[in-house]
Amino acid sequence: MSMTPDTGLERDDDLLHRVVTELRRPVALDPALDTRVLDVIRSGGQRRPGRSMPLAGAALAAGVLLALLVGKAGAPAGTREVRLRLSAPSSSYVSVVGDFNDWNPAGTPLRPTGNPGVWTVELRLKPGRYHYAFLLDGRRWIRDPAEPPNAESDFGTPTSVLTVS
Amino acid sequence: MRPIRPIAVLMLLLLQASVLAAQDRRLGERLDPGTAAAVQRLVDSAHATGLPTEPLVQKALEGKTMGASAERIQEAVGALLDRLVHARDALGPDAGQAELTAGASALRAGLAPASLRQLHALRTGSSLAVPISVLTDLVVQGLPPDEATREVLDLARNGRSDDEFVALRRRMEERLRTTDSGAPP
Amino acid sequence: MSDSDAALVARTLGGDLEAFAALMARYRDSFGLYAFHMLGNREDAQEAMQDSFVRAFGALGKCRDPERFGAWLFRIVVNRCRTMRRRSHRGRNFGWPLPRDVPARGDAADGLEWREEINRALARLRPHYREAFLLRYVRGLEYDEMAHVTGANEPALRMRVKRALDHLRELLRDVHDT
Repeated sequence: MSMTPDTGLERDDDLLHRVVTELRRPVALDPALDTRVLDVIRSGGQRRPGRSMPLAGAALAAGVLLALLVGKAGAPAGTREVRLRLSAPSSSYVSVVGDFNDWNPAGTPLRPTGNPGVWTVELRLKPGRYHYAFLLDGRRWIRDPAEPPNAESDFGTPTSVLTVS
Repeated sequence: MRPIRPIAVLMLLLLQASVLAAQDRRLGERLDPGTAAAVQRLVDSAHATGLPTEPLVQKALEGKTMGASAERIQEAVGALLDRLVHARDALGPDAGQAELTAGASALRAGLAPASLRQLHALRTGSSLAVPISVLTDLVVQGLPPDEATREVLDLARNGRSDDEFVALRRRMEERLRTTDSGAPP
Repeated sequence: MSDSDAALVARTLGGDLEAFAALMARYRDSFGLYAFHMLGNREDAQEAMQDSFVRAFGALGKCRDPERFGAWLFRIVVNRCRTMRRRSHRGRNFGWPLPRDVPARGDAADGLEWREEINRALARLRPHYREAFLLRYVRGLEYDEMAHVTGANEPALRMRVKRALDHLRELLRDVHDT
């Protein structure tokens, strides 16, 4: 199949030139981004990436590399990746606690995103119905506003339901 | 007859062992001994009757993490066991763990067992866990049970996939949001 | 004279986080620009960049050619953008977004309008067309480099670029002519 050579498309193409000029204009990213990355690295308990790290050895705490592993050979079969996000600007530590981690308050920390105050984590879950809540700074519970409330919140603390199909 | 008796005793012991769930290590580690033993008995009951045990363990762990009293934890686990029994009554003896867990949630949300039975009758062959979950979530978020049941049954009748049930939930949630905010639907 | 990428990678592997900070400073803005146009808004671009840097740090020992750290990191960024875009179906962070954060630098109104038209058109391209277009024209990659980054073969990439251009021309024709 023949196609117009790229040089033909590019040469004397005022429209393309204008578009590309515009798209190459710099975009100012948050200058604190680098600092946040270093904070995540420092808080991950893993300071030095080894020369011949296996993937498991490279895993940072906070589930940062969980998503890197998914879809590769080590990913559990029959599971789906789910990303949770929460805006908690005044918190310095956020974890998610639920049926998927035996309600362990320290089991699944979220990490800060590039958007200040927003936290995120990826989970690999089998299809099913999960109850969970976020724990802010180890003290304050909040349910996930992005998912339906759980009718079975029996202990006075609202929780949410995540359905993985 | 004498040689038979020890064998009978042994069989009885084996039978007894087979209906007891394995001692759940998590209960012993996280709960006080009395609560752990009480919850373990409920877990054993569920196991003996073929009901899922993991939701019961999770309920107990949730209670512990949330700082609930021992009595409250036992009460919540016991109530969940009851709902699982009723869910199986509605969904039939072949219902899987995920379906029963979802069914228990549905009953807690106030759905009638008849809704579960209707779903069960319509969608034979594939798991009902997601349709029941969607039905429950819709009701919890304020959709009248009759309407929610009708919407979910319509999909089930047409043999739709789980993803389509989830999509239905998102559509209805959006509708509920706009209705709540006073915007035209 | 600034350190080479290889030197900074070596220092990072030796535990010097300042060296990694220097690598981030070196690539943040140019790769961030790609993420911005690929994802359509600054918040997601920042998130993609942050995730990419953290992942790159964790996997740095697997960077076989530290002199080409930039190319290696860019592959991570491209993959990260793809993953974030795919998650849009969960309805959390994407509609398909029209860019909300087009930088304004005191331009005249018509300049802003033109910029918005471009971003709107870009957002309407199919993601793999948009990706190919950005790699080719905004990043300025050769087709063999694009193949390395995307995993797609060169003829497919040429086709994607051509289609992207055709669509952009169509979408922007009226605005451009005026």
